Amino acid sequence: MTTDLLRRLRPGARGLLVGLLTAAFLAPFYLILRNALMDARGLTSPRWTWWPAHPHWENFTALFDDPTLHMGQALGNSLLIAGITAPVSTLLASAAGYAFARIPVPGRGVLLALVVATLMIPGSVTFVPTFVVVGSMGGVNTLWGVIAPGLFNPFAVLLFRNFYLRFPAEIEEAGRLDGLGWTGLYRRIALPASGAMLASLGALAFIDSWNSFLWPLVIGQDPSAWTAQIALSTFLTSQTINLPGLFAGAVVTVAPLVAMFLIAQRYIVEGIATSGLKG
Amino acid sequence: MSAHGPQLSRRGFLSGSLLFVAGAAVGCSTDPTGGSSGARTTLNVWFHAYGEAGSQQAATRYAESFTKAHPDIAVKVTWVPGDYTSKINATLLTDGAPDVFEIGDFSEGMARRGQIAPLDDLYGAARSDFNPGDLAYVTVDGKPHGVKMIDDVMMLYYRRSALDKAGIRPPATFDELVAAARALTTRSGKGLFVGNDGIGDTPLLAVRSNGGDLVTDGKVGFASPQAVEAIAGLKRLHDDQSLLLGFTTDWWDPSALTQDVVPIQWCGLWAMPAIGTALGDDFGVLPWPAFKPGGSPVLRVGGWTSCVNAKGRHVDAAKRFVQWLWIEQTDLQKDFAESYGLHIPPRTSVAASADKLSRGAAKETVELAARYGRSNPSTWDTAVATPFNAAAARIAAGQGDPAQLLADAAAQAQTAVDKQRG
Amino acid sequence: MNATPDTTPDTVPRPARTARTGRPAAPPRGPAPARRPGRADRRAWAAFALLTGPMLIGLGIFKYVAIGWSLLLSLSDAHGSIALGHWVGLDNYRHLLADPAFRSSLVQIVLFTLAVVPVTFAASLGLALLVHRVRRGRAVVRTAFLIPAAVSYVAASLLWKMCLFNGLPAGIANTVGGWFGMAAVPWLQTTDPPLYWIVLVSVRLWLQVGFYMVLFLAGLQAVPHDVHEAAALDGATGLRLLRLITLPLLRNTSVAVLMLQFIAAFQAFDEFYNLFNSGLSGTATAPVQTPLVYLYNTAMGAQDYGLGSAGAFVLTALIVGATLIQGRLTGFGKGEE
Repeated sequence: MTTDLLRRLRPGARGLLVGLLTAAFLAPFYLILRNALMDARGLTSPRWTWWPAHPHWENFTALFDDPTLHMGQALGNSLLIAGITAPVSTLLASAAGYAFARIPVPGRGVLLALVVATLMIPGSVTFVPTFVVVGSMGGVNTLWGVIAPGLFNPFAVLLFRNFYLRFPAEIEEAGRLDGLGWTGLYRRIALPASGAMLASLGALAFIDSWNSFLWPLVIGQDPSAWTAQIALSTFLTSQTINLPGLFAGAVVTVAPLVAMFLIAQRYIVEGIATSGLKG
Repeated sequence: MSAHGPQLSRRGFLSGSLLFVAGAAVGCSTDPTGGSSGARTTLNVWFHAYGEAGSQQAATRYAESFTKAHPDIAVKVTWVPGDYTSKINATLLTDGAPDVFEIGDFSEGMARRGQIAPLDDLYGAARSDFNPGDLAYVTVDGKPHGVKMIDDVMMLYYRRSALDKAGIRPPATFDELVAAARALTTRSGKGLFVGNDGIGDTPLLAVRSNGGDLVTDGKVGFASPQAVEAIAGLKRLHDDQSLLLGFTTDWWDPSALTQDVVPIQWCGLWAMPAIGTALGDDFGVLPWPAFKPGGSPVLRVGGWTSCVNAKGRHVDAAKRFVQWLWIEQTDLQKDFAESYGLHIPPRTSVAASADKLSRGAAKETVELAARYGRSNPSTWDTAVATPFNAAAARIAAGQGDPAQLLADAAAQAQTAVDKQRG
Repeated sequence: MNATPDTTPDTVPRPARTARTGRPAAPPRGPAPARRPGRADRRAWAAFALLTGPMLIGLGIFKYVAIGWSLLLSLSDAHGSIALGHWVGLDNYRHLLADPAFRSSLVQIVLFTLAVVPVTFAASLGLALLVHRVRRGRAVVRTAFLIPAAVSYVAASLLWKMCLFNGLPAGIANTVGGWFGMAAVPWLQTTDPPLYWIVLVSVRLWLQVGFYMVLFLAGLQAVPHDVHEAAALDGATGLRLLRLITLPLLRNTSVAVLMLQFIAAFQAFDEFYNLFNSGLSGTATAPVQTPLVYLYNTAMGAQDYGLGSAGAFVLTALIVGATLIQGRLTGFGKGEE
C-alpha cells in the first residue's frame, strides 16, 4: 500500500479524529463525576441522564461520615506514604547514584553489579518474600511496613549514576579547590544541580506510590493502615454497595493525582521519557 | 510463633538502616487506643462488616457495656469490610492480630494449628442450652473452639406476584426451578439471581440436593456420581441464560429482588427485614429444591463464630469477653440477632424468645432450616473450597468433562484436608 | 506508570541548566586528585559508605534477605506461619506445577499478554504519530491522552465494572449495544465468547497508552528533522516514510516499550482482583485468574506461605528467562557496563 494515509487525512479530518479520541479518553472522568453526583436509583435506571438535575453533593460528605470506610484516614495515609516515599526514595537513589558515578573505591563495580542484579527481579511477583521479611520485623498493619520496601529503587540509582557521569567535571573541580570532600561535593554542587531530575523521578515515585495496590493490600490489613486505594477497593468488594458513594470515593482518590498531573506535567513527561529510556 | 522470636533484633536492624524514615513512619502509624483511661488491658475485637444498618453501633455498645462491667478491660471494636478471610489470616501472623475475632465458616484447621484457643471452660451450665448442631460444629477433638454468635439461614426468596402473573407454582424440584427461571426471563430481565458470577452457593446446594456430601470424616466426597450429576445440572441454568449476572450488588444483598430486577433470588434470613420493608407481603421463601426424586431440598446454615486468638497477649480477658457477650448476655444476643438484620440465636432459649422469628416467613424459614438446613463441614476452608468452586464454574460454563474436573478438584481438596488434619 | 522499568538506559536527558554549559560526558572517575592516598582512600570509603549505605542495606534486606528466606520457605511446609523448619524438599514445587489452577493461570497470563501488548503498542505508537503531527494545541491533546495514567487500577476497574460494562441494560456498553439491537449481556461473566477480555484489555489500554505514547513522542522528537526531509525529497511519503525511516529510528524505543509492557502485563493483578473479586466469595469462580491472583489467594487466603514462595520463584524465573531471551533476540542492552 503506497497511498499516503496520514496525508490523505486532511487537516480537518485529522482534527476531527483527534477531537474524538480526546473525548473518548476524557469521557471516563466525566462518568466518574456524574455518577458521584447521582442517586442510587438514577444510576441503575435505564433512562440516561447527562447530568443530574439536582447534584447530590452530600454523597461526598457521606463518604467521610461513613465510619466503616475510613476514607479520611486512608487519604491521609496515602498522602503521608507517597509524601515520604517520593522524596526519600529519590534522594537515596541520587546519593547512591552519585557515589557509584564519582567516588573511586575498590569493590565499587561488585556493589554496582549487586544493585543491578536486583533489577532482574520483577517488583510485584515477589510480594510473598517481601511480606515474609516485613512481617517478621513487625511491619504488618503499620505505615512503615507499607513504605519501607518502596524506598529502594535500583533503577533510579542507575538513572542517577548515568546522570552524574555526564555531569561536567570542572564544576566539581572548582568545588574541590574550595576544600569540599566527596559528600560536600554531592551536597553542595551535584545535588542542587539535579533539581529537574529529582522532580521528574520524584513525581513518578509519588504517582506510583499513590496508585500502588498489591503491596498495601498485602501488608495493610487493618483499617488504620489502609491507603486510599485499599479503602476504595474494600468499598468496591464489600457486602453492601452504595453506588454513588463508590464513585464519590473514586473522585476523591483520583482528584489529587489529576491535579498533580496538570500542575507538574512537564516533570512527569520528562520523568517518563527518562525512565522509559530514549534511544 | 515465628513472627515473635527473632523479631526484636531484626527490628533494631531495620530501624537502624532506615534511619529517620522508619522512626517517623512508626510515629504516625497505628494507634491502639480506643480504651477508656484507667483500663489496664485493651482487647482488639474484629467483626466483618455486617451490611445491616445499626449493627456496628450495636457491637460498639456491647463493648462499652462490657467495659462498664469490667473496668480494667477496654475493648476496641474493628469493623472490617471487604475480603475478611484474607485480612484475618494475614493479621493472625502478626503482633497486630486481634484478641477476639469472628469467623464465617468455622475452620478446624485453625484449631489444629493452635491459632484459636479451646473454649470448653467458658460454656458452663449454658452448654445444654446451645443448639447441639452449633456446638458440634465448633468442636474439635472434643473441645469447642469458638462460640457461635448467630446462625444465618440462606434460602430462595421469590416474588409471589411475579410467579402468579406468569402462572407458575413455587418450584419444588430442580427441573421446576429451571423451568421457572426460564419462564420468568424476559428481554428486559432475568429469572433467577444466585450471585454475580452465576455460581455463588449453587455447587454446594446441588451436591446436597442430590444426596451427596462435601467432606465426610475427612474424606472429600464431592466427586461422587450424585454430586457430578447435580453440578452438571447447573449448566442448564447457564445454557438457558436465565441467570442474572454482573449485577451491582451480590447475592447477600437483596437489592436485585427489592428493585424489581429479578423475581427469584438466593439470599439470607438476614435480609428479610429489608425485603419486608420494600415488598410487604409480596414474597415467599423456599429451600433450594431437590435435584430429583430421592434427593432432598436444602438450605444453607452459616453464621458467625466468635474465636479467641490463642497467641494473643490477653487470652484470659479475651475469653472473658466472649463468655460475657456470647454466652451470658442473652438479651444482647437477642438484640444482635433480631434488631438489625435477622439471624437465629444459637441458644435455644434465646431463639424461642425471639418474637420476630415466631411469625410469618421468618417462622417458616426457621422450620425449614430445622428440617433441611446444612452447615458447611468445618474442614471447608479456602484451600478446600477453591478447587471445588473453580471446577463448578468451569462445568457451568461447559468447559471440560464434569466427572474429570470434579475428580481432579477432589484430589486437590483431599490433600488440603489431609494437611489440616495433620 | 505501573511499569517497572527493568532495563538500563544508555542516555539520559540532561538537566536544563548546568549540563549544556559544561563539557560533555566527564570520564567516569570524575575529579580525583588524591594527594595522600591512604587518608584520601579512607575518606572516599567513608563518603561512599555514607552515600550508598542506606540504599545497599535496603536492597539487601528487601531483595536479598527476602529472596533467601523465601527460597528456604519454599522448601518448607509453612502453613499459617512463616517459620522455617518443616522441610519438605521440593513438595511445594511439585504441588504447584501439578495444580491445574496454577497452570491455567500461566496459560491465561500468556494469552492476556499476547492480547494486551500488541494492542497497547499499536495504539500508543499511533497516538504518538498523531500527536506529533498536531500543530496547534499539541500540549492539550497530549495531556488528554496522558492523564488517564494518573488514575489507579482500582478506580478504573470500579468504573469499568460498575458503569461501562455492568450486566444491566443501563450499562454504557449495553446501552451502546442496544442502539444496534444487541441484547444486554453480562460482560464480565460471559465466557462464551469470552467478552471479559474486552473489559480487561480496554481498561489497561486506557490507563497505559498515554504513558507509552510519551515514550514514543520522545523518540520521535529525537528523529532529526532533515532525515525526514531528505527522505521526502527522495519521494518517500506516508506509510513508506513511516516504514522505511521513522520506525527504524524508533527501534530502540519500540524494544524498550515492548519489554516494559511485557513485564507489566505478566504481573497483572490489580484489575483482575478488583473486577472479579466479590467480597466474601473471593475470586475462585472468576473466569480468568492471573498467577499473581493465584499467589495472593494461596499466601493470603489459604495461608500457605511455602507454596506462595515457590510460586514467586517459578514466576520470577519465567519473567527473567523471557526478558533475557527477548533481550538476546532484540540485541537490547548491548553496550551496558
